[in-house]
Amino acid sequence: MAEKRKYKKRYCKYCEAKVDFMDYKDAGALRFSLSERYKIMPRRLTGNCKRHQDMIAVVIKRARAAALVPYTVTRKAVVTAPFENLK
Amino acid sequence: MRNYENLVIVKPTLTAEEIQASVKAIEEVITSNGGEIAATSPMGMRKLAYPIDKNERGYYHVIYSSITPSAISEIERRFRINEDLLRFVTIKYDTNREIAAFNTMVEKAKKAAEAPAKVETPVVETPATEAPVAEEAPAVETEAPVATEAAAE
Repeated sequence: MAEKRKYKKRYCKYCEAKVDFMDYKDAGALRFSLSERYKIMPRRLTGNCKRHQDMIAVVIKRARAAALVPYTVTRKAVVTAPFENLK
Repeated sequence: MRNYENLVIVKPTLTAEEIQASVKAIEEVITSNGGEIAATSPMGMRKLAYPIDKNERGYYHVIYSSITPSAISEIERRFRINEDLLRFVTIKYDTNREIAAFNTMVEKAKKAAEAPAKVETPVVETPATEAPVAEEAPAVETEAPVATEAAAE
């Protein structure tokens, strides 16, 4: 395959930190497993193990219900964010 | 009795006193249904990730409590009737691992509740003890409560 992987296959970050429980109220910690459009990142890209991927999926869905993390981001919001970071 | 966590989002259009009153009413609903509140942690007014009923902001309040499982449906029914609430999320902490996490969160919430009290006590004490330096001290002291109030709003 000439096509290169966009992300390296990596170890599970949560296993290394020995995470037993994730809190849905800590929205900043969920950012790792979310794409820039706030989709849940697949395991093949983040390197999460199955156990922690299942945990994070549940926690992200709870955070979405509590309006801590958006369900979707419109194109407008995605485009405006980088400009805010530059300033 | 089982451990539960109730997160409620109160309407931002209410005044600070009205929000506190509705939060108290919510806690009253839990206690009147046989729940024991372990700790509460006000997350304060914050921006919602998406607008709910055309509201961009909301007042978050988390209540950790132990409630009999059969009472949950009644509590949620009362929450649904309450028009001050934009959203509520009820989480069950059942397994050993979750209960351990629940206890640590309760302790953290209790410590956070005590911390502002600790900040307030020196504010009260310093004017009495350090009367000569009172000119400089109150300026700093008066700023601190205002800042915390602004953050709370």
